[in-house]
Order: sequence, then structure tokens, then C-alpha cells
Amino acid sequence: MSSAKKSDRLWTWLLLPGTLWMSVFFVSALALVVALSFGRTDELGNPRFSNTLENIRGILEWTYLRVIIRSLVYSVSATAICLLISYPVAYVIARHGGRYRNALVALIVIPFFANYLVRMYGWQTLLSDDGVVMKRLRDLGVSSDFHILDTAGAVIGGLVYGYIVFMVLPVYASLQRMDGSLIEAGRDLYGSPLRTFLTVTVPATRAGAYAGIVLVFLPAMGDFISAQLLGGPDNLMIGNLIQDKFFAGQNWPLGAALTMTLMLLLLVCMFAYLRQTARDSREAAR
Amino acid sequence: MTADTLTATQPTATAGRPAVELVGIGKTYGEAEVVKDLDLSVEAGTFFSMLGPSGCGKTTTLRMIGGFVDPTRGDVLLHGEDVTDLPPNRRDVNTVFQSYALFDHLSIWDNVAFGLRRKRTGKAELRQRVGEMLELVQLTGRDKDMPRELSGGQKQRVALARALVNRPSVLLLDEPLAALDLKLRRAMQVELKRIQREVGITFVFVTHDQDEALTMSDQIAVMNEGRIHQCGTPEDIYERPTTAFVAGFIGTANRMTGDYRDGGLVLAGDMRLRTGELEGCREGEQVTIAVRPEKIWISDLTPEMVQTDGLVKATVYGGPTTTYLMEIAPGVELAVLEQNLQRARTEDRWTDGERVRIGWLPEHCLVLH
Amino acid sequence: MSVTTARPEPAVASAAAGTSRRRRRRRGSGMDRKPRFAVAVTALFFVLLYLPIAAVVVFSFNTKKSLTVFDGWSLQWYRAFFNDRELTHSLGTSLEVAAVAMVGSVVIGAALAFGLVRARSRLGAAANAIMLIPLITPEIVTGVASLMLFKGVYLEPGLATLMIAETTFSISYVTVILRARVAELNPEIEEAAMDLGASRMQAVRLVTLPLMWPAMLSSAILIFTIVFDDFVLAFFTTGVSPQPLSVRIYSAIRFGVQPSINAVGTLMLVASILLIVLALVLPRLLGRHGSGLDLFKS
Repeated sequence: MSSAKKSDRLWTWLLLPGTLWMSVFFVSALALVVALSFGRTDELGNPRFSNTLENIRGILEWTYLRVIIRSLVYSVSATAICLLISYPVAYVIARHGGRYRNALVALIVIPFFANYLVRMYGWQTLLSDDGVVMKRLRDLGVSSDFHILDTAGAVIGGLVYGYIVFMVLPVYASLQRMDGSLIEAGRDLYGSPLRTFLTVTVPATRAGAYAGIVLVFLPAMGDFISAQLLGGPDNLMIGNLIQDKFFAGQNWPLGAALTMTLMLLLLVCMFAYLRQTARDSREAAR
Repeated sequence: MTADTLTATQPTATAGRPAVELVGIGKTYGEAEVVKDLDLSVEAGTFFSMLGPSGCGKTTTLRMIGGFVDPTRGDVLLHGEDVTDLPPNRRDVNTVFQSYALFDHLSIWDNVAFGLRRKRTGKAELRQRVGEMLELVQLTGRDKDMPRELSGGQKQRVALARALVNRPSVLLLDEPLAALDLKLRRAMQVELKRIQREVGITFVFVTHDQDEALTMSDQIAVMNEGRIHQCGTPEDIYERPTTAFVAGFIGTANRMTGDYRDGGLVLAGDMRLRTGELEGCREGEQVTIAVRPEKIWISDLTPEMVQTDGLVKATVYGGPTTTYLMEIAPGVELAVLEQNLQRARTEDRWTDGERVRIGWLPEHCLVLH
Repeated sequence: MSVTTARPEPAVASAAAGTSRRRRRRRGSGMDRKPRFAVAVTALFFVLLYLPIAAVVVFSFNTKKSLTVFDGWSLQWYRAFFNDRELTHSLGTSLEVAAVAMVGSVVIGAALAFGLVRARSRLGAAANAIMLIPLITPEIVTGVASLMLFKGVYLEPGLATLMIAETTFSISYVTVILRARVAELNPEIEEAAMDLGASRMQAVRLVTLPLMWPAMLSSAILIFTIVFDDFVLAFFTTGVSPQPLSVRIYSAIRFGVQPSINAVGTLMLVASILLIVLALVLPRLLGRHGSGLDLFKS
């Protein structure tokens, strides 16, 4: 066999270990989750494969359904807030950062390599009722009925904190790539910076925004730490339910069904994202 | 000369065989047949060019000689020995890549010495040969520099040195001058030719630039769509193109198509061209002929010339020459090239709208198939 | 929000209030001036970003057991951590798992990266899709799926399962990073090396790897840090013992206040930050020197 043909084979062979590993340890695992969604628990409480729909039905009951809806609300809110914060921050760094640009981006990225749990724990400490923040607020005369923790706001805030870097980075990348003269032209046309921003900057950077939306919304939907550490019993998310079913409540099939719900949501989001980017690139090509 | 332990061919044993032979070579990628049934023979010690437009298959053919592409069918022979199944490192061939492919993490010296080190050449000889080569390409003193510090022309010379230092019997060059600006390219063309003459190695050179091929080569193979249209000396290719493609690709063709009748060609609008007998053409057949622009006369016409009237449509002044675009029949335009020997001033040259009598010798009618 | 000054300066806030028309004559001067609203948001952003980190660090030095009242500076919680057998054992576990995941994912990921960029077969598209999915999957889904896979083959959650799970999702990260690097490489350099007499193995060793290893090194450090800090996946796939540090921290947070968490947390923070800085800086440093040495003189 000549070497040219051999080298082609070599590259294909290199694909095998990785593909095999991922297929065995990831793809088949996901398939198992889907399969067990239709399972049941036997007398000993062990999960067994079956073909019942009671788990799916169970999810659609209000107790669970409202958690799913709540998770959606929290995640969408968190994503929206991330957008609102990321744009000004990315804008300032991209257009006014000068030679400190890279240092500033590094400063944003570095905390996200620190332990997520520890940082959330830090917030819990700060915002708890006998924490620093609450003490100050009470000194200023805020009523003792006001709590920061155990609220929906705290959970959403936690989600924002946890995932905002995944919004800032793509938006920043888009802003950097954007032609600066577009903004100047916009200013000439529209006068006000805000109108320029809305009509020129945002559309030009929407690729980064879309990426950020996907990268924040999906993990936020699966998050349970924020709700657990910063929220109360009324703020539970899908992730908390799943955790409960697998560890405390020991109802694996139901947990699998809930997980499958998450997976389906993921698929829907990715589909929407891919369609939108495809549409955008088709328009750009025209 | 040091024994090259990794070469698979013994040139002396098979002296007399062409340096490179391609027999029935073809390459298909999926649905696309990139190279179709090629036969090629390159004499040892010559400068051989493969010329053609992008996508004609010339680079693929070159890579098959080098061993980077596996022919779908056919054989590759170097000095008579079948190397079709040999990998590149076992062929006595070196390549200068279009992208130069220098090793960015190694110094210039280490780049050039790379091949010799693989052959385990002794330290003293290595130092001598690399030094010689750097001098040949005029890069002495830059041996410690890194590729990223070099200009395009310098990188190209390093790539050349790196290949030549191994004293291959055949050197393959894949459009090596494509990325250089005009002046540098012209200088490098002269350099390459000089080096080839001096070292005596067979060069197989791929280019899409016809001027480059014409000035540098001993033999040219003109390719299009995976086939060789014509193979010959630059003069053969230019003065006696055998196909319409070759005539059109090299220089300007000035094509005229018409029915061959009574020793002449009847062009559009019933314009008769007294060409005289055209070789290989039958009465009544539709024939295309081509005439080179510089073969057409605008003054001092003689009776044996093929003559016709032309209407000057445009005049293009080019410094040493002037090109006139003339219409001799409806829709038939000829480019006529004239040296500005006598007509140095604008007033002396013909102007748009003038009617001129032009002519050319019958032997300059090139019949195209 | 808008500050009143002697000169009327157009700021985004006032523009939003609809006074833009009045300010239009000033538009020429506004180009390089920093938009104050956005800068304020940015400053606040950075403060809030580091606030919990600061809190954890500060309270790790607290003399009192409380997490809310700061008393004085002390190293007692650090001492408590190093004396706690179980905690230091967990630290060792975390390091072990991270190391294994790092090596496994870099090796497999490098192979995948080359395969994805250079192979012409249809397997490439499938491999690409399979490799990308973990990146967009919420970690909890990966955790549940992994747990079920192990239970399904009667593998009890333990060190092995943890290592396998962490390696799996690390492969995705590493492959994405390395693939970009491989795509940058000129494939002709390997051909050039072979043209000059190197065998395929030699070509990879002498030419490809030297150009790849800075990226491999930084992705290795990156993945080590990510796995070291990882919680959700570890939570689902770890056994009763040994437990990685992040899982132990979680238990401590949920089931009782343990002030040495702050110390542990601070240590992990410092370690992570150092590693990341290393990952960013090291290849640049070594790259310059590395290219000057001919490490392969024959």
C-alpha cells in the first residue's frame, strides 16, 4: 500500500479511540436515560426497565410541571439579565479598554476557574440574614421582614453570577470583530448613542448574543446549586428535583424522565439556535 | 559523493532512462477525475515545466511524482525504477512547496540541514554542504534566524536550499514563485535557471504563468482538465500549437473560423481569406486557424501574404510595442502587435476608425484541432 | 444617575431620556469619550464578581468560628484543614482524578483533533457531532447519564467511575481547543519532513509535536483545573469514599457549618487561579525558547 493511502487511513484510525470512548461512555449513557424514563421501581425500590408512561404522566402533573415552568422563568430571566449586563461590560472593554483589554478579559475569566461551589457559598455567607450585607441594610432601616436569600431573586442572581462569563465572552468577541466605523456612521445618522446601539451595534453582534444565550440558558436550566444554597423551598428547580429523585427520594425512573425533559429542551434550543444562525448566514450571503 | 543510504534508485545503473516517467497515470477523487490517463517523460538534466490553468491537475500530477498522492491507476518511474508504491521519504526526489512549508520551530540552518541529518551525514560534511547551499541561495550569515523573521523571497530560497542540499536526482517545484512580487519573481526565475544549469539536476516545475514557463523551460507540458494537450519545447508550444486550448492559453491566438473552400477560408459576412492550402483540411470542412499577433504586418506587405482589410477598433500603446485591435469581418477581431521602431510618435501610428491593409505569411496560419 | 455639571454632556442615560435632539450638535466630540453608564456597570460588575471570593478569603482567616462576624486574623482553619485526615485525603483524590482525566483527555483529544481535521472519511462528521454534544449538555444530564451507565453495568460508583466520567467530558474541551491548533498547522510541513527523508513517525515527532505541544500543555493545565474544581458530575459519579474535595465541601455546606471550608475554598481558589495563569503564560514563555533549541540533533 502506498504511503499516501496509508496516511489517509492513519487519520481515520486516530478518530477511533475518541469516538469509541464517547459513544460508550456518553451516547449510550444518554440512551439509557431515555430508556429508563419508561421504567418503574420494583418492590425493593430498585429501578427496572419497563414500558410504562406513568413517569411522563407524573411530570405533567402540576407539582412537577410548576417546577419546570419555574425553571424556565428563572433561566429566561437570568439569560435576559446576563444580556443586559454583558453588553455594557463587553462594550467598554472592547472599545475603551485600550491595551488593558486582554488583562480585563483575563480578570473576568479567572474567577470562573475557581470553584463554583465555593463562590456560591461566599454569596450565601454574605447575603444570609446574619451576614454582612443584611446587617448593614438593617442598620439603614430596612425592615426585618426583608430577606435577600430564600427568594426567587436570589436564585436568579445566583444563576446570573454563575454563568455570565459565557455571555460576556461571545458578545465581547463579536464586538471586537465588528467594524468600529459602523458605530460612527450610526452616530451620524441617529445622533443618540442609545439609538445607535440598538439599531447598529446589537444587530451586528447578534451572533455573539445568540451563542451567549445558548451557553447561559442551557446550563442554567440544569443548575441546582443556586436554588439550593440561595433559594428556599419555594424556589426549587428541575435540577433539585432530579437530585432528590436520585439520592434522597430514590425514584430513578422519575428522575430519568425529568432528565429527559431537560434533554428535550436542550434539543429544542439547539434546533432554534441552528436555524437562526443558518437563516442569518443565508441573509448575509445574499 | 557520499553514499546516500536512503535513496532507492541508482542513477548510474539505469543511465539513459528518463529521469521521470509517468505511464497511464490517472487520479480520481470520488466523482471527480482530476487527472485522466497521462503519459509523461522527462529527460534527465532538463528544466521541465507543467503549465496550465488552476484546477488542470498539474499540482496533483507533481504530487504523484513526489509520492504525496497515490495514483488511482498507472505507474511512476524514476530513472527506470517503479516507485509507485514508495513513500516520499524513500524516493530520490525533493520538493519545494508552494507554501514553502518551512519548519517554524527550527532555525534556517536546521531547516536546511534537516534532510542531511535524516541521512546521518557526518558533521563536517554536513557543515560544508549546508554552508555551500546557503551561499548558493545568498543567505549566508542568516543561518541562526528563524523562518518568521524572513521575507517571502528569503523563505523561498530557504525552501530551495533545503531541497537542493540533498542532491536529489529530481527536484519538484510547485508554483514556488507564485507568492512573490513581479520584480522578485523575475530575479528568482533567472536564479533558478542558473542553479539548475549549474547543478545539473532535473527540475520539474509547475506553474500557471505562461511567461515563466516559456522563459525558463527546456520542455513544457501544457495541461488542461487533467490531460496533457501538448508537450514540447517553448518554441514548439508557441509557434506550433496543436490544439485550440494551447493556442489560446499561450499568448494571443487570433482565431478565425470558417468554411475551407477553394484554397481559402470563408469567414462571417462572406469575407474570403486567401490562405492557400491548409494542411490536413478537406474541402467544405469548417476549419479554425490562428495567427500570432506579431506575425501580422501592417506595412511592407508582399504578394504571397494572406491579405485582408482591417478596421482599427482600438490602439493600445505598450512602450516598446503597440497593439492594434482590428476588425476584418463582422465579429472577427485580430490583435496585431507592432514594434514601435518607426512609429515613435502618436501621429505616426494608426488611429481608431482607420482602414488598413494587413497581411501575414501563409506558413503562419496555424490550423487548430 | 446623570450627574449635573457646568457643561451639558450627553450621556447614554440622558439620551435615553429623549433629549438626544438637543445634544446633536455635540455628536462630533463624543466618539472617544467613555460612556459613563456603561463604565459604571462594568466597575460594579467587577466588584460583584470578586466579592464572594473576597468574602471567602477574608473569612478563612477569621479567629472566630462565625461566618458573619469578622474578629481577627488567624490561621487556625488552615491548620485544621491540614490536620483533618479525611479532608487531605479528599484533596489527594481530587488531584489524582484531575491528573488521570488530564492525561487521558489530552491523549485521546489530540488524536481526535488530528482525525477531525485531516481525515476525509464520513466518520469525521459523526465523530465531530458526538464530541460536541457534551459541551452543550448541562452537567446534571451528563451526571445522571453517567450514573445510570455505571449502575447499568453493575459498576459501583467509586474512584474508577469518577475518573471515567471526568475524562469523558474533558475530551470534548480538549478536542475543541486542539482542533483549532491543528487546523492552523500547514499540513505540508509533515509532507516536507517526509520528502526530506523522515518516516511518518519521525515527521510527527520532529515537526508536528514541537508545534503542537504549547497548545497541548495549556489545554492540559486547563482541563486539570476544570476537573479539580468540578462538582456536579463528581457528585453523581462518586462513591461513599474516596470523595473528591468539591463533593466534601458540598456536604459540609449542606449539613453543617464548617469554617474550615473557607480555608479549603481559599486554597482551591488560589490553586485554580495559579494554574490558569500558568496555562496562559507558560506556552508563550517556553515557545520562544523552545524554538531556538534544536532538540533533535542527530
